[in-house]
Amino acid sequence: MKTFLNTLLILTLVATARAKEVKLLNVSYDPTRELYSEYNAAFTKHWKAKTGDDVNISQSHGGSGKQAQSVINGLEADVVTLALAYDIDAIAAQAKLLPADWQKRLPNNSTPYTSTIVFLVRKGNPKGIKDWDDIVKKGTSVVVANPKTSGGARWAYLAAYAYALEKNNHDDDAARNYIKQLYKNVPVLDSGARGSTVTFAQRGIGDVLLAWENEAHLALKEFGEDKFDIVTPSISVLAEPPVAIVDKTARRHGTTEVAKAYLDYLYSDEGQDIAGKNFYRPRSEKAAAKYAGQFATLKLVTIEREFGGWTKAQKTHFGDGGIFDRIFQP
Amino acid sequence: MKLNRWLFGTIIGTQFAFASFAADDADLQALKKQIQELDQKVRILEREREIDGEAAATAAKIAPKISLGANGFSFGSADSNFVAQIHGVAQFDSRSFFNDGGVNGNDGFLLRRARPIISGTVFRDFDFNFTPDFGNTTVQIVDAYVNYRYRPELQLQVGKFKSPVGLEHLVADKDTLFNERSIATDLVPNRDLGVQLKGDLFDGAASYAVGVFNGGTDYNGTTVNNSFQDNKGFAGRVFFQPWKNSGLNALRGLGFGVGASYLANHPATNSSTGLTPGYTTDGQQKFFTYATGVNAGGTGWRVSPQAYYYYGPFGLLAEYVVSDQQVASKTKSADLQNRAWEVSGSWLLTGEDASYTGVTPSHSFDPRTGGWGAWQLVARIGELDVDDKAFVGGAFADPKKNASSATTWSVGLNWYLNKNIRANLSYSQTAFSSYAGTRFTAGSVPCQPESVLFSRVQLSF
Repeated sequence: MKTFLNTLLILTLVATARAKEVKLLNVSYDPTRELYSEYNAAFTKHWKAKTGDDVNISQSHGGSGKQAQSVINGLEADVVTLALAYDIDAIAAQAKLLPADWQKRLPNNSTPYTSTIVFLVRKGNPKGIKDWDDIVKKGTSVVVANPKTSGGARWAYLAAYAYALEKNNHDDDAARNYIKQLYKNVPVLDSGARGSTVTFAQRGIGDVLLAWENEAHLALKEFGEDKFDIVTPSISVLAEPPVAIVDKTARRHGTTEVAKAYLDYLYSDEGQDIAGKNFYRPRSEKAAAKYAGQFATLKLVTIEREFGGWTKAQKTHFGDGGIFDRIFQP
Repeated sequence: MKLNRWLFGTIIGTQFAFASFAADDADLQALKKQIQELDQKVRILEREREIDGEAAATAAKIAPKISLGANGFSFGSADSNFVAQIHGVAQFDSRSFFNDGGVNGNDGFLLRRARPIISGTVFRDFDFNFTPDFGNTTVQIVDAYVNYRYRPELQLQVGKFKSPVGLEHLVADKDTLFNERSIATDLVPNRDLGVQLKGDLFDGAASYAVGVFNGGTDYNGTTVNNSFQDNKGFAGRVFFQPWKNSGLNALRGLGFGVGASYLANHPATNSSTGLTPGYTTDGQQKFFTYATGVNAGGTGWRVSPQAYYYYGPFGLLAEYVVSDQQVASKTKSADLQNRAWEVSGSWLLTGEDASYTGVTPSHSFDPRTGGWGAWQLVARIGELDVDDKAFVGGAFADPKKNASSATTWSVGLNWYLNKNIRANLSYSQTAFSSYAGTRFTAGSVPCQPESVLFSRVQLSF
C-alpha cells in the first residue's frame, strides 16, 4: 500500500512538473496590438535572461469596456492593460478579482504611458478641419467609436465636451448641445477604436476620425503619409490607459510573479522606449525627451479636474440614461 | 454693317456659350457632389452591415449553447464554463427461468433501471452528477457527486459514486455486455460514499483513483446514503494502457491494472452486519448468504487484478477478485477468503469497434435506407468460490442451503439499433457445488442449476 501511494505521488508530481509552463494572458484595448506585440517579445527575452524560464504571452484586444466585461464574465486575464481606469475599477467592483486600490500599486497611477485624442483627416484636409468647432459643421462626417463600448471613444467624447465647456464658460447646456451636434455628424458607430480606424481609413467613410494619437500615427505609418494628415486640436484630454494584475486569476494560474514583472518592465528604459516608438507618450523623462518631436504640444485636461474623476464621468455621460443616451439617436 | 452684325452675333454667341459652359460646370460639380454623397451612403450602409455581422458573430460567441441529440439534452454558457446535461437510462427486462423445480415466482418483466441523470459543470472545473433510480424494487440515489478537475492528472471527487475496484463494475450500466454483471462483481464493492483523488496520466496511458469511503460490503445492489462508524475503508485502482497513444494498432486497446480495497475492523451495527446480503446468480437469486447472527468481525480486504483488450470488433475483459473478510458469530470467528473470476468476450458482427465505453453503430437501424444497426455476439464464463471455512459445522452459513461455489456461463446477442436504443437477448446457465459431503435442501436456490433466458430493451441518451 505504501509503495503504491509513493508511486502515485511520484506519478502526480512528474505529471505536474512536466506540464509547468508560464503562460500569461494580457487583455487589452483595441489599438495596443502593435505596442504589446513588440513589448511582449522584449519582455519574453528579458524574462528568459533573468530567470531562464520561457513565458508565452497571449493578447486579447477589443473595445475597452467590452474587454472589461469579458474579464468580469470569466475571461482569465492575468493582466489587464485597458483604456481607462473605470474599466479596471469595474473588474475590481463587480468580479472582485483585484483590490479596489489597484491603481496605487504602480507608479503614475498605474499608467506607464499616456496619450491623447487628435484628428485624422484626409490628405490635404479638404474640409479645412482645424479644431473642434469644425467637426460640428453641417456636412462634415465624423468617425468615432461607440463610447458605451470603447475606451478611446469615451476619451474622445470627453475631449470634445471639455472643449465645449471651455468655449462656453462652462455652460453645461451649451456643451451638451455641442455634443449633440457632434454625434449628429457621426454616420456609423464602431464598437472599438480599431474598428473606427478601419471605417475611416480602409472603408473610406467620413472626413475626420477622432483617434487616439498613437492610432493616428500608426494610420500614417500603415497606410502612407500621402493618405492622411494629423490635425492637433487646441485642447484635448490627457488619456491615461492603466495597467493592473488581475490578482485572483494570476494567483490561481501561479503567474503572479511574472505578471508583476511584466507590468513593472513597462516602466523600464526598454519598456518606455517601446511605448514611445509606438507613439504613446512615455512617462520617463529620458524616453519622453527622445520622442518629444513626434508629439504636438497642446492643452490637455484631466478627467479628475474637468469631470470629477472616472466614476462620476461614467455615470453622468455613459451610464444607462446618461447624457450620451439622451443625445444620441442611432 | 455686315461687320457690325458679325461682331454682334459673335459677342452674343460667345456670351451664350460661356453661360452654357458655366451652367454645365455647375451641373457637373453638383453631380460630382451627389455621387460623392451617394458613395458615402453606400459605404456607410456596407460598413453598417459589416459591423452588424461582426456584432452578430460576437453575440453568437457569447450566446448560450443548446443541443439536443443522441448524447442527450445539453445547455450551457458559450465558454462552456457552465453546462447542464440531462441524460437517462431505462431498461425494460424479462427473465424466464427454465426447470426452476419448484422455485416459483422468478419469471417476469421488470423495469431494471429507470434513471434520469442530471449532470454538468459549474465554474469550468467542477463537474456534478445526480442520478436517482426509480427502477427495480427500491427507489434510491445511485450517484450524487461533485468532481473538481484541477488538471486531468489531479481531480477530487466527493459524494456517492462507484468504488474504484471492479473492472466490470466500472463499465457504465448502459454499456454492460449482459443484462446483469458477472458473478465476479459479487465480490467487489458497489457505490459508496467518500472522497476520491483520481486522474489520467500521460494522456490517458495511465490512470489512478484512490479514496476513503464508508467501506462497502461485497456487492450490494441496494446502496445506502449514510453509514455512521468510526472506521473507514480505503479503495484504489491503477490502470495502464501503455500503447493507447501509440501507432501499434493491435496493442492500443490493451489495458491492465489492479483494484484493491481495505477496511479495518468494520463493526457490525444495529442496521448492518457489515457483510454482503448475499451473492447472486445472473438471475439475481441468492445462492449464498451468511447465517443470522454472523457479522463482520475484523478487517477486510480485496484485490482484483484486471485487464481488457479491444481490437476492432473484438473485445475481451477479464478480472479476478479475492475478497478476504474476518467474520464472527457469537461463538466463533474466522478469516474467510472468497474468490471469483470472469472472462467475457464480444464480437461485433457488423464490424464496428468494440470498446470499454460502449458501441456506436455505423449505420443506425432504418429499413428504408438499409441500415440495420450493430449486432454483437457476447459470451461470458465466471466462477465464485466461497471459502470452505464458512461451512465448517455450519458456523457461518448453512451448507444445505448455500453453495460453496457457482460456475456460470452465458451467451447472448446484442442489437444496437442506434446510439440510444439497444435490445439484448441472452442465456445463462449456472451450476452450483455444495460443501463437501453435503446435499442441498430441496427448494433451495442451489439445489439445481439455474437456466435463465434474458431479454432487454434499453433506452439511453
